[in-house]
Amino acid sequence: MKRIEVRLSLEIVAPLLDVIKSVADALHEKLAAPLDIGEVDADMREFWRDELIGAQNVDIAKLMALFDKEFFANGVVGFDADNAEPVVRACAALRLRLREENLKSLPDELLETSEVEVEELPQPVRKYFMGYLFLATLQELIIQHLDTLGEGDDDDDVEDEDGEDSEADENEKN
Amino acid sequence: MGTKTHTSPVAHPETELALHGLWRVVVIDDPVNIMSYFVLVFRKVFGFDEPTARKHMMEVHEKGRSVVWTGLREKAEAYTFTLHQWHLTAIIEPDEASHGS
Repeated sequence: MKRIEVRLSLEIVAPLLDVIKSVADALHEKLAAPLDIGEVDADMREFWRDELIGAQNVDIAKLMALFDKEFFANGVVGFDADNAEPVVRACAALRLRLREENLKSLPDELLETSEVEVEELPQPVRKYFMGYLFLATLQELIIQHLDTLGEGDDDDDVEDEDGEDSEADENEKN
Repeated sequence: MGTKTHTSPVAHPETELALHGLWRVVVIDDPVNIMSYFVLVFRKVFGFDEPTARKHMMEVHEKGRSVVWTGLREKAEAYTFTLHQWHLTAIIEPDEASHGS
């Protein structure tokens, strides 16, 4: 199975894991976004909600599993066809939750463009926003490689990623 | 002569029409999900090619919503559920043309 390894900056990412973990925990029995289905009856809505929460928990577990011993030893996280899509979805869930609960003070226009002066944000908003940016970076990185991951050969790629900028370094070390 | 209970079906033309008319799957904009994520989801869920997925993404971004699929209700619900699994805001609504006014 094709696998891509990305080396993240431990110094930058490790402090954000507390934020990510706390948001992940808060989502255990809650949907990341309010359920607005439209014209669907109540029974269906309940079933729908339970199924979505179950799927959300599976995805978030795959995201959290990235930050294992290997990550804390050398900053490397690995993606393959099994975890790439769940992790991308989990990042979306956590970002939605961060916006709903922790970044309410930031207008949506700023969140959409990410044109925020991070240094000017008070704590803990700054930390939440850094987590929000990091999750988007992770999404971008995986989305760039998703087609490759689906090809199914056995090559391994390793990329360096600074964990802060949304643009990934393209320094591949095969 | 005993009393007979009739269980003949009662016609509900509006219900019939609502069930059998066409339904739209509409994706609503949100300030959180990134553009490339919308494109990815549209490709994965509907099998759109890149230009079609991008067209719908731009429509969501610029107009606030995009009708991404129209068809029978059951399938519209299944697509909407899948979009919710991807954390996009999506609703189903009756296609006015097929449901009449």
